[in-house]
Formats: sequence, C-alpha cells, structure tokens
Amino acid sequence: MTTLSVAKSRTRPLISWRVRKLLIGYSYLVPAALCLLATVVVPIILAIKMSLYADVLYKPQDYRFIGLGNYVRLVQDPVFWLTLWNSVVWVFGSVILQFVFGFAAALLLQQAFRGRALVRTLTLLPWIIPGVVVGLIWQWLYQPNYGVINDLLIRAGWMQERIAWLSSPDFAMGAVVFTNVWRGIPFFAIMLLAGLQAVPDELYEAAHVDGAGVLARFWHITLPLLRPIIVVATATRIIWTFNYADLIFVMTGGGPANATQITSTYTLLQAYSSLDFGYAGALSVVLLLVMLAFTTVYLRVTKGVEET
Amino acid sequence: MDERRSISRRKLLHTLAGTGVIAAADLAWWDAPYIGPRKAWGAEPVRFQWSVPEPTRIALINSLVERFNQSQKDFAVQVEYVPQAQARQKLISSIAGGNPPDLCQVWDNWVGQFNGMGAVEDITARAKSWKHFADVAPTAWQTVTISDKIISLPLSVTLDGIYYRTDRLKELGLKEPTPDWTWDEFLSLAKAFTKADKNQYGYGMRGSGTWALLYPSEFAYANGAEVLKDGKVTINSKEAIDAVAWYVDLALKHKVTPPSAATDGFVEIVETFGRGVTSMYQHNSGSAGQQKKNVGAGNFATLPLPIGPANKRASFWFSETLTMFKGARNKEGAWQFMSFMLEEEPSLKYCATLGLLPARKSILEKPEFAKDPAQAGFVNSFPIGIVSPYLAYPGWGGKIDSDGVPLIQQAILGKISAKECLDRFADILKKEMS
Amino acid sequence: MTRRHASSDLAERLLRGPVVRIGLILLTAFALGPFIWMLLTSLKDRQELYATPLQYLPVRPTLENYIDAWTSPVTPFSRFFLNSLWVCSVTMVATTAVSVLAGYAIARFRFAGRDALLLIFLATQMFPSVLLIAPLLTQWRALGLIDTYQALIYSNFSFTVPFTVWMMVGYFSSIPRDLEESAMIDGCGHFGALCRIVLPLAAPGIAATAIFAFVVSWSELLFAISFTTETNMRTLSAGLLYMVGQYEVQWGPLSAGVILSTVPVAVLFSFLQRHLIHGLTAGAVKG
Repeated sequence: MTTLSVAKSRTRPLISWRVRKLLIGYSYLVPAALCLLATVVVPIILAIKMSLYADVLYKPQDYRFIGLGNYVRLVQDPVFWLTLWNSVVWVFGSVILQFVFGFAAALLLQQAFRGRALVRTLTLLPWIIPGVVVGLIWQWLYQPNYGVINDLLIRAGWMQERIAWLSSPDFAMGAVVFTNVWRGIPFFAIMLLAGLQAVPDELYEAAHVDGAGVLARFWHITLPLLRPIIVVATATRIIWTFNYADLIFVMTGGGPANATQITSTYTLLQAYSSLDFGYAGALSVVLLLVMLAFTTVYLRVTKGVEET
Repeated sequence: MDERRSISRRKLLHTLAGTGVIAAADLAWWDAPYIGPRKAWGAEPVRFQWSVPEPTRIALINSLVERFNQSQKDFAVQVEYVPQAQARQKLISSIAGGNPPDLCQVWDNWVGQFNGMGAVEDITARAKSWKHFADVAPTAWQTVTISDKIISLPLSVTLDGIYYRTDRLKELGLKEPTPDWTWDEFLSLAKAFTKADKNQYGYGMRGSGTWALLYPSEFAYANGAEVLKDGKVTINSKEAIDAVAWYVDLALKHKVTPPSAATDGFVEIVETFGRGVTSMYQHNSGSAGQQKKNVGAGNFATLPLPIGPANKRASFWFSETLTMFKGARNKEGAWQFMSFMLEEEPSLKYCATLGLLPARKSILEKPEFAKDPAQAGFVNSFPIGIVSPYLAYPGWGGKIDSDGVPLIQQAILGKISAKECLDRFADILKKEMS
Repeated sequence: MTRRHASSDLAERLLRGPVVRIGLILLTAFALGPFIWMLLTSLKDRQELYATPLQYLPVRPTLENYIDAWTSPVTPFSRFFLNSLWVCSVTMVATTAVSVLAGYAIARFRFAGRDALLLIFLATQMFPSVLLIAPLLTQWRALGLIDTYQALIYSNFSFTVPFTVWMMVGYFSSIPRDLEESAMIDGCGHFGALCRIVLPLAAPGIAATAIFAFVVSWSELLFAISFTTETNMRTLSAGLLYMVGQYEVQWGPLSAGVILSTVPVAVLFSFLQRHLIHGLTAGAVKG
C-alpha cells in the first residue's frame, strides 16, 4: 500500500497549515465541550467542594470546612471497602459476560438470513426499558413464591425447593448480574455489529486464499481491526456499570445485609437517606478517582483508540 | 445501497438537526394541558407536591383539588405528582436549591429531617386558632410536634396491627383469636397457617425498609423494653434482646415466614398476603383497602398486636401529613388548602376511599371506620398507640435506613445474633443524639 | 455484497449452518423472554393476574390495560409518548451532529491534549448522576427552564455526548486514512473529505450512535422527573412509574405501558438498522 506524500508546493498562507489544522480541530470540538461544561463539569466541581465540608442537611448549624475529614472517615469505613469489592464483582462480572455474549450475538446478526431485520430489532429490546422498570420486572420474575423463574424451574423439575434469589446473600449478586447481562447484551451486539461492517471483505478473501481457517481469520483480522471499538465499548460500559445504581437499588436495595451494596448505591443512601451530602460528595470523588485511574491504565494497556 | 442515497439521508439529518435545535428553543407547542386545574383569573398559585401517585390517588386528589379551586377565587392549587421512589430525592433537591413547593404530602418521619434542615414552617399559631384543633386526637398532634412546635397537619393517622385470613381460619378449623391474644397464640396460629409444600406461610415478615426495624421494636415493647428511657438509649436491654430473638426465631427456628422475608418491603408483604402466600402480616391500616381488592372484603380481618410476656404491648402511631415549607411563596393559600383537606367531607372521602383513618375524632366515629372489620384491629389499638420513639432525633430516620436495616436483615438471616444486632444498633442511635 | 466462496472447511460449514441457527434461537429467546411475559401480563385482567397457581396464558384476554393507559386522564400515556418522542428525537439528532464533528476531530487531528481531552469526556461519565440533580435543578430554575423540553434535552446531553463522542472516535479510527488523503490530494478540503468520503463509510457507526443516543434518552428517568413538575410534561419513563402504587405495583397497566413504550424505538431501529450492512468499504482500498 503506497502512500503518496503530500508534497505540493504552496504559497505561504497567512496562518500556518499546522495552526490552521489545530484551529479547525478545536472548532469541531466546541459544541461538545459547551454541552459538557454546563451540564457536567460545573456540578462536578461543586460536588468536590461539597466533599470538603461537614454537610449534613438536617444539621445546618454544624456546617463547616473540614478539609479531608470526610475522606478520612471513608478510609476507615468498612462498609465502603465492602462496597468497593462488590462494585468490582458487579462491574467485571457484568461487562465480561455482556461482551462475550454480545460479540457472539453481533457475529450471528451479521449473517444473512431471512427475517434478519426482525431478529436484530428484537435483540435491541432489553436496552429500551428504563433501568428502574427493568429492576421491577426482574424483581417480579425472581420472586420466590409467585415469580415465573421459580415456577418454571420447579415445573421443569430442575429444582425442588423455592430459592429466594434476591433475598439470599449467596445468590443475590449473581441474580442482579444476570439481569444486568440481559440488559447490556444489546449494547455490545449493536456496537460490534456496526464495527464489523467496516472490515473489508477482501481481507477475509485474501486470508482464505492463503489457507487461514475461520478461527485464524477471526483472531488475526477481525479482532485487531475492531480493537478501537472494543476498547470504547468496554470502557464506557465499565464506567456506566460502576455508576449504575438503578437496578440494584430497585431489586435489592443493596441488601440483603449489604451483599449487593455497591459504591454508587451506598452514595445514594448517604445522600438521600442520611442526608449527609459531605460524605456522599467524598464517596463520589473517590469513585471518580478510582475510575480515572482504572481507565488510564486500561487505555494504555489496550493502546486505546490509536488507529489500526 | 448506493452512496448517493446515503448522502441525501445525511443531508436530511443535517436539516433535521438545524430545525430541531431551533424548535427546541421555541416552546409553546401544546396549548392547554390535558389535565390540571383551570386557573381562575387572578388566583395565586399554590404548589403542592403529592408523593404517592397512582391512578386511584391521582384521581382522588385531582377531584379534591378541583373542588377546592372552585370553592374560592383567591387561590389555585397545582398538583405535582412525583413517583414515590423519587419523591424524597426531589424534595431534598428542591429544598437544597432554595425552591421548595408550597406544601407537600409526606410522612411524619420525613418531616423531622426536613425540620432539622430548617425547611419547615412553624404552624403552631395557625393550628391553635383553627376551629378543629381540639377535634384532632392528641397523639396525632404529637406525631407532628417537635420541641413544642406544631410543624404539620396530620391528614390521616394509622398504627400497626396484624392482618389475618378469616377464610383460611375456617378452612383449617382454627379458633378465632381475640383482640387480647398473646405471643404464644400468635405463634401457634402462624405455625398452623404454615404449609410450606403448598407455598403457604404464617407470617409475612418484613426485612426491607425502615419498618423492618420498627416492627420488632413494637414486639420489644410488648416485652417491657423501650427505645429511650430517661434520655438514654435502651433498645439493647435484656428485654429487647429477648423479644427480638423471639421475633427472628419466627424465621430461623419456626420457619413460619416465606424465604423472601429478608428483602421483602411493604409492597412485597402486601402482595404476598394478597396472593395467599402468607396468611398474616403486620402493617398499618393503609393497605386495608388494597387487601379488600386482593383477597376480598369478607376474607380477612385485623387485630391489635399480641400481648407479650411482660403483659404489655404498644403500637407506633404514624401519620400522613400536609407540611408547609418555610420557603413557600404562598403560605396563606397553602394553609387554606390544608384546612380544606381536613374538613368533614374531603377528609371522609379521602380516608374512606383509601382505607386510612382520619385524624379528626368526630370523623373517626362514623360507621365507615368504626364498623369496618378491616379497620377494627386498628381502632381497637388506639389505647396502646404511642408516638414512634424513633422520631425523637432527626438523625435517626436516615441511620435506620442505611445502617439499621442491614443489621436486622443479618439477624433475620441468622448471620448475627439478636444481641449483636441490637448492640450495634444502639451504638448507631447514640452517635446521632446530638 | 460479496459472498465468500463455498468452502470445504468443516468449522466453517458447521458455523454457517446449525450453530448459527441455534445461536439465533437462543439469542432471541433470551432477549425476548421477559417481554413475552410482559405481553401476556398486559392482556390479563386483575383476577387472572392474582391467580395462584401462576397462570401463563390469559383465559380471557383483554385490551383494557392498553386502553386505560392510553386514554386515562390521570396518566395520559398518549401525552407522555409525544413528550418522549420529541425530547429523544431532538437529543438524538443534536447529539449525533455534535459527536460526529468532535469524533472526527479527535480521531484525525493530532493536537496537544488530545488524550487528556478523551479522558475528560470519559471522566464526566464517572460521576453518579444523582448528585448532579441538585446543582442542575438550581441552574435550570435560574434560567426558567423547569417544565420545558429544553431542560430535558440539555440534561440528556450530559450523558449522551460523552459516550457518542467516544463511539465516533472509535469508528472513525477504524477507517483507513488513505481514502481521505487521496480525496484531499484530488482537491477536497477537510470538510469536503469528511462529507463525501468519511461519512458514508462511517454510516454504520453513525447509525449505531444515533440509535444509542435515542435509546438512552428514551429510558432516562431521573432527570425527567426532577426537572418537570406538571404531569403533562412527563415523559414515558416517568409515566411508567405512576403505575407503581403505594402498596402494589399495577402489573397490568405497567406491562401495557412497557409494551407501548418499546414500539417506537423498535420502529426507529428497524429503519436505521439498514445501515448496519457490510461492504461499504469494499473496493475502496486499492492494493
């Protein structure tokens, strides 16, 4: 593949080519930056400020600057470390399974068959419902006494006793992860499906002619070309899942006994039940830092979105 | 699929983007709202947040608001319905943002925290000069009084009792329990009701939500314990520990509770009773109307809580209130609406439709409430009603939710003993006593 | 669309035939299962809903749940529907436009702070949206935007723009540069190259991005409830929660509402998914 060098002769423009390129680049970014500044950046800064104060809403007389006081309390809080561990299980369990099954789904949906449009549409459905409603529906399905899952399992003879999926500390996390996987597969399926379209057929043909089997073609062509999209999809999904409190909040409330309490639901509790906005602010800042650290490492290891 | 078609689609998208952005900037699309009260000319708006919207209540509140708006020309109430899961968050956010509604409907345990935030209007003067002040039960006033200041109007009151299936009793040939039943009678009835193979259980224990901790506390009172005694926290006294140990044994030893007990909230305990999975459960009169629909009016009845070994019992009062905020822009209008809601006809209509008990004694004596077997247990519980001791400190409400409930869940699951649960809970309460 | 030659590779034949079929059946069943249950539930009347043992097929199917939901004056689903449709369409279009520009810039231009900027976009997602409510509420109130579509649309940007920018960066990165460079040598400017060469090639990615922007804002709940007060400004997601009563979840109307709310998205998707096809880059790369 020869690249023509761009060696045209030009007259000297007023603004140098490089600067112009920079300006064009930045101007493309302006709309996006504006959107974010107003809706996210400012509130985040406010929350950071909030975390440095003792801010319990029903004790306004105690409001004062305490510097890192909330953070010290955080480090000593055993529930916090438990929620951090739960978050890791929740996030990686969900995302890995979503990715694997989503990829499989994308490969399947790429094949040509009749009714493909319909199947693709049906696959998208779990993603459409609001998280709170998904939580309600699955909570109903998991209900030990009149839920469909137990009913079907017992009727099929695979289970003798009714299992209380969401009330048992052993099963609760698995059950909510399963629901999250159900909800998240369409995301990967569609994203990866779109990415698969950009892989040129000729590459597959050439490899086929060279004698590469299906698996080899997958490993050496598909995966590397999809790398930017895989990284983007998994990174955003990991971050969303970390922050996503709705499902757990509705299905188990973080219970039983903190078995499914993740850091973001714990933050919610502190903010709106205990009305301790200072501590909630500190929790969110720490969560932000953890995710930033993780993402930086992740992007470096996977070589991010650098072009293939 | 050719490039030209795709480019024109691109153009279409760009044009849409253009018009979309412009149209978003210019609002007024639909003229008059589908629903909502017609504003009388010159009427000052009163913003009212209702926190339990669902079709029956929405229709009821809409009609009451309409009647109020039409009965006078000075004020026009506008209702905002917020789904209850978000209601508290929204109230807190709007208070913190300096712009609360004029009044809202909330439960008494939320009011304490709002008062601690300095957000609630003191209505002592208005209440005391109100014509029905003496007609409201003193305990009802107690639920909304903090440091001798009345801060809300109790819309309806309730306290806890036990619901049970009368049809199942007859089926199984069991003896009808009396209002003075004891713990032993309660236990044997629960055991008799339990048929695990038929998916039936005796008692729908509640493991989730604030009341998961309050129900065993009521049992602790029946054993002579108290939450606060002489200003000290005594929830982990020996009597309390024994009582709570007996309570969690219902789940652990006698297995009269369904397997989902540890995470069942009030929706679940109401639904499991409604579907016949449990034959008894503990709750306030609020779900009586629901059960008439679920189980059938003639198939259940209610009783006061059973008498404990110390020959005592107590049931916590609980009121649904109308609360005015200090930051309200239309306080006079809010007060007019609040007192309207407690007039005879609105109060009767509200409480009778929803199965709640009115706060005013004269309305309570009407046959709709006094003669209804579904309400009998609660009316009979009035003598044993006390104001929930957990309202004593504003910081307790939140801590019960975030720290107390996981403790009782662990006890219900058998992971910690009742003693450990109560000891740690007492510590949490002590820390919040400033 | 070019077809691969028939091959004698066993793995390939297996994969093409039964494995694909079984896979598709499993996939559809898994995704659809709860929806089928919701559909059945929405056709039952109250008695059948509460029957024990669990009843699967409605003996007396009824459309009353749908009719009630759509026409009820207290929970006007027809109105919620229109609100959602408007807010999400505008969000989708505006987000896609913004992210295509930003994504292209980040993917193609090397400039100082590029990596940091990407990280910042991502970092804005790392904050629990619940804590954004109080400051945003103050902001919108100060601007007089409560109970307007704008507040919802702008708030939606806070979570659609970051991830769509990332998505577009990913898709643009996987398109070889050579095509634009040859176009520019032939005389297009940057913007021309973007419109004529890159966008058509990135059509699948753009379609996927648009779908996501729409779907994510369709299911958004928290902002919709926080920034509106009047019932007739509520979106479909918020409207669904009206079915969650104090002591019961009204499964019949809720299921009907869920089914109703999935229909428009499904329709939109069935149009956009046409772009998710192979072969646009076929023949574009020489050599």
